[in-house]
Amino acid sequence: MIPPVDAAPVLQSVGITPIEIALFVFVLITAVLTALFRDVLAAIVVFAAYSLGLALIYTFYRAPDVGLTEAAIGAGVTTVFLLLTIAKTTRPATDELFEPIDWPAVAVCGLFALVVGSTLFAFPAVGDPLSPILQNGEVTGYYLANAYSETGAHNAVTSVLAAYRGFDTFGEAVVVFAAGIASLLVLGREVFTT
Amino acid sequence: MSDRDGSRPDERLDGRLDSDGVARQRPVYSESQVIMTTVKVVIPFVMTYGLFITFHGADTPGGGFQGGAIIASVFLMIAFAFGIESTREWLANSLVVGLGTVGVFIFGAIGFGPLLLGGNFLEYTRYEPLLGDLLGLKEYEFVKYGMEAVEILGIAFIVSGVLMGLFFALAAGYSPSTDSLAVTGDRRDGADTATMEDTDD
Repeated sequence: MIPPVDAAPVLQSVGITPIEIALFVFVLITAVLTALFRDVLAAIVVFAAYSLGLALIYTFYRAPDVGLTEAAIGAGVTTVFLLLTIAKTTRPATDELFEPIDWPAVAVCGLFALVVGSTLFAFPAVGDPLSPILQNGEVTGYYLANAYSETGAHNAVTSVLAAYRGFDTFGEAVVVFAAGIASLLVLGREVFTT
Repeated sequence: MSDRDGSRPDERLDGRLDSDGVARQRPVYSESQVIMTTVKVVIPFVMTYGLFITFHGADTPGGGFQGGAIIASVFLMIAFAFGIESTREWLANSLVVGLGTVGVFIFGAIGFGPLLLGGNFLEYTRYEPLLGDLLGLKEYEFVKYGMEAVEILGIAFIVSGVLMGLFFALAAGYSPSTDSLAVTGDRRDGADTATMEDTDD
């Protein structure tokens, strides 16, 4: 949690571990299943599992704040909202387990994945001490070196969110507030509860 | 309305086709002793965890956003266990709206305050000459506690309020729930109301 303040970058790339491979395979399978399942309820449940897998990956890569958000919002609240939505609508009945596969769509998605995937090789390895973020880390290094002395918060992420980049956070908070208002507007209601 | 009377025991819960081939809307709430007991046991821990994530966000992973979401999920769980409709009646609208509005107001006030004092947006240390002696805080402590205030009283309030509100607004659906509004505002969307009234009136 507490970043090493003055330590020289002694991080070493450890390559890809079996846990990472397992998590990536899990996320990939659940993502494909979300698209494939014909039953909406099954798709929602698998989508929640996908979010949980992503949250684990984020946590594994030392981003527990993002992991927490993904678990709470992605796996938790979004799933509840989606469940609520299918509870309010009808569900097309089917005996088939999977959607019929639309091969042109698969081709387009595959092409897109190839294009995006081709940039993967440009990324530095995880924890690579020669990566640009550590070599020219003026901004990152400043936060890591000064966040505690300037803000008194051990969690550098919080100090970036609430102090250094507080204006962005204010905008995001107002966006959340606006989303609540917009939902009332769309639903034609004046109150959330009675 | 449609939520309230949806607990007929013979209703199929999975929403699949009945034997006559008509897609029925599943009842939104069916009373379950297991779920109610589980939620009763789990709620104190989830609430504590949410408050911990919120209040301890400056020193451990987490913060107002994540904590607010977890706190809101407590109310979502209550709604799932004890019925959305009865939870909606129990939860005051002023609480939901108040959380969001007060959150934005506090965040905005703390943020724009330093502008009035001649500084930049969210420049916490500008409060020091004004309140330093009164609160007995050093300059850097203003940043720490200012951040805490923004995270707890700002972001956590907004997120928990809005998530709760979104949930109950979604659950209520398009038609306004109050009876006075139902007369005028009910029939604007024919397709939706048709499926929603397909339950068991």
